[in-house]
Amino acid sequence: MTDWLSQVKNAKKSCMVQNNLKKVHYDFGNGREMVEEYNTDTNVVTRRAWKLKNGMDAEGEWDIELGDPEVNFNKEQLLFIKESSTQPVVTRRNTRINLEWRIRNLPYPIETYSVVVDEEKKSLVVRTTNKKYYKVLRIPELDRLYLQPVQEAVRITHKFNTLIITYKKPKQLLELEKNVLEEVNKIKPNNYGDMDCKPS
Amino acid sequence: MASAAAAKIAEVRETTRVERIGAHSHIRGLGLDESLEARHVSQGMVGQMSARRAIGIVLKMVRDGRIAGRAVLLAGQPGTGKTAIATALAAALGHDTPFTSMAGSEIYSLEMGKTEALTQAIRKSIGVRIKEESEIIEGEVVEVQIERPATGVGTKVGKLILKTTEMETVYDLGGKMIDSILKEKVQSGDVITIDKATGKITRLGRSFARARDYDATGQQTRFVQCPEGELQKRKEVVHTVTLHEIDVINSRTHGFLALFSGDTGEIKPEVREQINGKVAEWREEGKAEMIPGVLFIDEVHMLDIECFSFLNRALENEMAPIVIMATNRGITRIRGTNYKSPHGIPLDLLDRMIIVPTSPYEEKELREILSIRCEEEDCQMSDNALTVLTRISKETSLRYGMQLIMTSSLIARKRKAAEVDVEDIKRAYQLFFDEGRSVQFLKEYQQEFMFNEEDAIEMDTS
Repeated sequence: MTDWLSQVKNAKKSCMVQNNLKKVHYDFGNGREMVEEYNTDTNVVTRRAWKLKNGMDAEGEWDIELGDPEVNFNKEQLLFIKESSTQPVVTRRNTRINLEWRIRNLPYPIETYSVVVDEEKKSLVVRTTNKKYYKVLRIPELDRLYLQPVQEAVRITHKFNTLIITYKKPKQLLELEKNVLEEVNKIKPNNYGDMDCKPS
Repeated sequence: MASAAAAKIAEVRETTRVERIGAHSHIRGLGLDESLEARHVSQGMVGQMSARRAIGIVLKMVRDGRIAGRAVLLAGQPGTGKTAIATALAAALGHDTPFTSMAGSEIYSLEMGKTEALTQAIRKSIGVRIKEESEIIEGEVVEVQIERPATGVGTKVGKLILKTTEMETVYDLGGKMIDSILKEKVQSGDVITIDKATGKITRLGRSFARARDYDATGQQTRFVQCPEGELQKRKEVVHTVTLHEIDVINSRTHGFLALFSGDTGEIKPEVREQINGKVAEWREEGKAEMIPGVLFIDEVHMLDIECFSFLNRALENEMAPIVIMATNRGITRIRGTNYKSPHGIPLDLLDRMIIVPTSPYEEKELREILSIRCEEEDCQMSDNALTVLTRISKETSLRYGMQLIMTSSLIARKRKAAEVDVEDIKRAYQLFFDEGRSVQFLKEYQQEFMFNEEDAIEMDTS
């Protein structure tokens, strides 16, 4: 994998602006597609999703890397198996200086949790002492920079049945995001979305 | 709580319903040794040595998988074990090789053309083994809860609690999933994997932690460790699907739900062409592997001339499976024409086939088969009764003899006997007519039946 910034530079990009949201679509070639949503007020990425391609079925879905998961009303899925709505769900929501994971539906007190950096897997491992929850969280932002996660940057808080894990963005990442943002600002937005709509 | 308990009981009953005894459920394989020689009595098969040896060679051919589009014809009188041999071949091939069994009359449907039905059958018999990364759930079952509405109709609701050494999660189950869980008889303590995309359940074994639950366990029970880490994993899995399944999934109008309803309709040739191309591409990339299987068409004389000419053409395709046909007809009319031909099959197709004859059973073999059936149907029979039954089978037919096993066993049970005796067989023989006696009865009392004109049109059975 080549360096992320040059990939972004070489990708076919298009974007559109809706109110204070800027949606950017990247086509990296060989079938890899990504969509990002920027908040134009804060210049922070609020959503990032990858197009999934699976072998047999022609139609792929979106894998949400960042932001709230899309609500799936697809009936076909209901035929099989899914996690109960009372089970923990992980969502990602980054801020300007932090990478953030929110795990909802975790009612246990904060002493229960431990979040440890796994150097080998390059990820964060969430454990509970009561053996109810376990999750390996990959950090795609760091993967792109080939950075090793460090334990010192991890902080956890627990509020309203939600475990919030924050990871302080390293300098290289802040740098990269600045450069990517510059690239994004170069794209000329398509004008649909904010056209004059005059309902009669 | 009481309703939940009631639901549990009903569920147990439902799961036992699956194992019923069919005409060929005693067959577990072809009964051949390593050098493909037929053992006289083995794996539920008796006699027909040369036919079994021949099919053993076909088995070798299918396993090698190099030869495409051969046709084999099993020809013989009714009740000489043609379908039994085909069933045995299916059992011997195992789960991974596709085996499609159909009756010749199945292709006549209002919803699709004859050739479409044949094409689907052919494509059902070609497997593709695909390596794919897929999302699976692997864990030990803590609890299965399945509740059905009190009225008995409507959707069932289910919950499944799975755990690993590190975590525990509650899953909601959909209707199809509940059915397959009931079918697989998943219970707490089992270690299972579920393919999230297809809903396929595989039982890995029972958890070591539950090893002491029962004093006695079956030999097949395998004990495994409780899985570690996360419940949901991405794993490279190898699964076998048939070309037909890929067709259905990719035919836009239906989607993969059609796989469950069975209502696939006709599939466009463009879709098939596209799939063929895609599979060829996967094979080149080393992602997929072809497994040619077996298509078995029973009562093949029910096919008509169009189907035969279509088969002629289809067998030449290099993607064609091995086609095994069975017929009990002699020289008869080819359906859809006025020509007569051996087995009701046109000569040009016959020429492409290798023909395996089956011959009527000897008395000794009949006895063996009947005693195997007695065992299968859980019926104790005295030696004398078995001798009488063998005689009856010899004089009437093997099928009639097999019918008498269950009936006479019920008669024996009524008089609270431990085993079936000659008396019971006699009683059953008097109560139920075989075909010969029925015909004779009709001849004697013909004038008392309706529509009994002497010059009545004879039934056309060809």
